[in-house]
Amino acid sequence: MILLLQQILNGLIIGSTYAVVAVGFSLVFTVLRVINFAHPDIFMLGMFAGLWGAHLVSSNIVVVLLLGAAGAGLFGLVLEQVVIRPLRGRDVLMTLIATLGVAIMLENGMALIEGPDPVAYPTLLPQAPVHLGGIAIGSRQLANFALSLLVLGFASWYVRATRYGRATRAIAERPDVAAAFGVNVDVIARITVVLASMMAGVAAVSVGALYGSAWVFVGTLYGLKAFIVMLVAGNRYFEGVVAVALGLGVVEALVTGYISSSLTDAVAFCLLILVLYFRPDGLFGSYAI
Amino acid sequence: MTGPLLTVSNLSVRYGAVPAVADANLTVEQGEIRVILGANGAGKTTIIKSILGLQKATQGSIRFDGAQELRSLRPHQIHQLGIAWVPEGRQLFNTLSVLDNLRMGGFASTDRATTERRIATMLERFPRLAERRHQLAGSLSGGEQQMVAIARALVSQPRLLLMDEPSLGLAPMVVRDVFALVREFNASGISVLMVEQNARQALAIAHWAYLLETGRVVESGPAAKVAAKDNVKEIFLGGHA
Repeated sequence: MILLLQQILNGLIIGSTYAVVAVGFSLVFTVLRVINFAHPDIFMLGMFAGLWGAHLVSSNIVVVLLLGAAGAGLFGLVLEQVVIRPLRGRDVLMTLIATLGVAIMLENGMALIEGPDPVAYPTLLPQAPVHLGGIAIGSRQLANFALSLLVLGFASWYVRATRYGRATRAIAERPDVAAAFGVNVDVIARITVVLASMMAGVAAVSVGALYGSAWVFVGTLYGLKAFIVMLVAGNRYFEGVVAVALGLGVVEALVTGYISSSLTDAVAFCLLILVLYFRPDGLFGSYAI
Repeated sequence: MTGPLLTVSNLSVRYGAVPAVADANLTVEQGEIRVILGANGAGKTTIIKSILGLQKATQGSIRFDGAQELRSLRPHQIHQLGIAWVPEGRQLFNTLSVLDNLRMGGFASTDRATTERRIATMLERFPRLAERRHQLAGSLSGGEQQMVAIARALVSQPRLLLMDEPSLGLAPMVVRDVFALVREFNASGISVLMVEQNARQALAIAHWAYLLETGRVVESGPAAKVAAKDNVKEIFLGGHA
């Protein structure tokens, strides 16, 4: 029983990172109607921005998080301006391919600088066992989880309670009507990309500090899962994306714990195939493109 | 003496090779309700969307308040001049609550206090909406959705309201309420350009009417005169007059 709860908690923790990346993906997709394949590599850039910041500036966790967010956000802004915006209105495949190209460039470019293997990451927080009931969890894992939940909470508050957040949801549903009520879609699009990128940056630093390592190809790890989460959940409800991400994390953890760790990655793909077969719009539905 | 609030001159819109609107001329005078009548596909919605900047015109000009050429503006800028839209089929933000839909109506204003006050006024005017203000807009009945769509447009206190087929899909009693509502806020100074297939009820409240047939304005005159013409009944044979 304890092992079960332990695995579920582990699953929630890793799922929370999937959720942050997936929500960023989903927000950008619903507002701009583009699939930004470079989003996972913005995550990676955030991780390294934090790493460099930790070496050059300060290894205070708040500073590193801010630098990670800033680095990722800055790159998101550049990407939006240079790649996504000029391709607006064209076939969605164009942006997909263009951002895929950017992703490959980023990964290999960073590999030239940092090398293709994992590099050490300052752990920023002390590791100490925390006991919840009979379950033991490291303080770092807990901090990672708390940070992810904080970011998700912020995103939820943003889309629910702020003027721009509401406008973001309005654009996702009916861009023409939103524009006709005074919403400058271009501005909101830009803000959305930057926010999604900053969220990814925070999550990336959190993950780097948790495992004590950064890797230029980490984007493929989280990016693919996050993309699958978005497809499985559908992009209509923010909460659906979070639920599926957490669920995926838990199922993966249970499979790792009770069946075999080599099957872990298969879970996501099996889920995708099942859902696409029975509910191609995603479990919770999607906006029409 | 100020000129017309809206002047559409020689407007032509093509979808590829297909002309949707050809050389249309119409105006809306301050304080009037003007209606564009026409069958499906006549080009009514195309004209509305061109005014809003949501549809590119091939040629012509659309002037608001005398000098301002709308064709050079983007939709959000056109709204900020004081033009609001009640779209065909309501087109509410179904995943947002009724209250959030009204808030979106007031998006253009950064003055939250004023917007909240205007929304409160709307909710007083529409008690049924007040009851349902936290409900998702998509869960309301057709008539209630039409109220939300109109209230959403009124929150910004527009000078010109563009209404696209407000009676579409509504029960006759509800249609009557809707038209009475249009008369009411027109009396408070809001000019209206309405597109309708329901000729009889629209002509009853309008000051002036245009008849649109395959993209061309074939008839233009005071509503009462247009209502009396024979060809109106021809154009709407089968359930409208």
